[in-house]
Amino acid sequence: MEELSRAQIRDLMAQVLRNQGRALPDDDAAQLREIGFRSLDFSELALRVEDETGEELNFDAPGLRRIATVGDVLDFLVELQRQ
Amino acid sequence: MTVSTARPAATREPAGADNRLVVGGVAVSWRDLPELSLPEPAAVLAHSARAALAAARHHAVHGTELLLGTPGRVDPVMRAELRAAGFIVTALGDHGTRPDEGVAADRDDPAAGGDPDGGGPAGGGSGSGGSRPAEPGRLWLLTSGSTGRPKRVGHTLDSLTTVRGAQPERTWLCPYAPGSYAWWQVVTLSLTQPGQHLVVVEPDELDEWPVLAAAHGVDAVSGTPTFWRRTLYRDAAALARVPLRQLTLGGEPVDQAILDQLRELFPAARISWIYASSEVGASIVVHDGRAGFPVDWLDRDVPGRPTLSVRGDELVITSPYHGMGLDGPVRTGDRVRVVDDRVLITGRLDSDEINVGGSKVSAGLVRDVLTAHPRLAWARVTGRRAPLLGRMVVAEVVPAPDAAEPPDEAALVRWCADRLPDHAVPRRIRVLTEIPVKETLKSDV
Repeated sequence: MEELSRAQIRDLMAQVLRNQGRALPDDDAAQLREIGFRSLDFSELALRVEDETGEELNFDAPGLRRIATVGDVLDFLVELQRQ
Repeated sequence: MTVSTARPAATREPAGADNRLVVGGVAVSWRDLPELSLPEPAAVLAHSARAALAAARHHAVHGTELLLGTPGRVDPVMRAELRAAGFIVTALGDHGTRPDEGVAADRDDPAAGGDPDGGGPAGGGSGSGGSRPAEPGRLWLLTSGSTGRPKRVGHTLDSLTTVRGAQPERTWLCPYAPGSYAWWQVVTLSLTQPGQHLVVVEPDELDEWPVLAAAHGVDAVSGTPTFWRRTLYRDAAALARVPLRQLTLGGEPVDQAILDQLRELFPAARISWIYASSEVGASIVVHDGRAGFPVDWLDRDVPGRPTLSVRGDELVITSPYHGMGLDGPVRTGDRVRVVDDRVLITGRLDSDEINVGGSKVSAGLVRDVLTAHPRLAWARVTGRRAPLLGRMVVAEVVPAPDAAEPPDEAALVRWCADRLPDHAVPRRIRVLTEIPVKETLKSDV
């Protein structure tokens, strides 16, 4: 399967938050802490990416960097698909 | 291979010999089943329900050392293991019902090189036995495999017979695979108690069993929760037409939702759940319509009754109905949780606990929350590898057949979030179209 675009991952991220009764702001600089996007939500998003692409993500490959904003999450997952 | 083990002096028909048996839609009695000639010790692979019943009766009459199974449950590796353990592996089909031809048992699996202990043709009475002396009265069970690879557990007809008091006359459905512990429970009941009749369902009839049961007056059914869920899912109206007075659940964790659904359909019937295994026999029987058993049953010491204990999270049972070599406390491998005044059995220890970022989640308790949803018929809960947390809780569900609109993932997540801590809420929920089931009638293994 093809890898997902940043926009597609953003849609999935919005869905994760929508299932929690919350909304994803348009601004990539929005702080995860402020929108209540926690490690459970991040993990769920990763599973959704895996389910869409049919490929397991390899989280051991890159060193985990600081992920503080919506944009950080999207960049990280886009990059991870290419590992 | 047919080495006769007929020992006239020892033959005695069991007490239930005249009970009615319906096999393949035909009513007979135990007494009418064909007389078999079996080698000894025999591992019989029954190709039909009728053949399996004939082998069971043969054991009850002659005490032939016997392991009974189906070809599907005994793979080539297991067959080799049985031969190495001194058994003569014997295939038994419906031709056993044609004594005129004298063919009661076939050599097993000639393609695999045949049986090195093979005897002469039918009725030849070559006199060859297994590679060791038989142990009269010994019955072997293969465990269902939910504990890993099937293993042999030694019993006797007596240690398998757990219902001993006089029972009201009943016609039982037997939906189980021949030779399993649950199958022997129903079979020994009918063999040993007059007035306990059997209607046997072949695997290919399983989905339509309520029609068969209604036609033959079945008023008592024992099945796994998966069996009951599938029946409710496929055709609850057909189930309601079966005049059931006794419903029994066992073999898997029993949750409140399935008990309530069956109660709604059969308000006057006795609904029981049983905890039983080939290792410890039938050890817990609960009739009050609630999931779990009362907490004050723990650590009670009543002569002749099993003692139930909890060590850590594990159910430990000391049972008078244990299998050979399993006396004393037996670790069941089943996980329990005490909730209020009940001890709930939530699932297997090795699969029930999901570690989500250091927080422990019981898959069984999450499953119970999902199956309590009015628009779901079935749920399975597992752990899935996930970043940051190690594992996450995920689920598969089957919507109830009468649900006008199946609930969507978000609605189910909210349902769970209202009832469970954050880390226990399944985040990925896949909707299946049919309840999966295995030959053991279990699905959650």
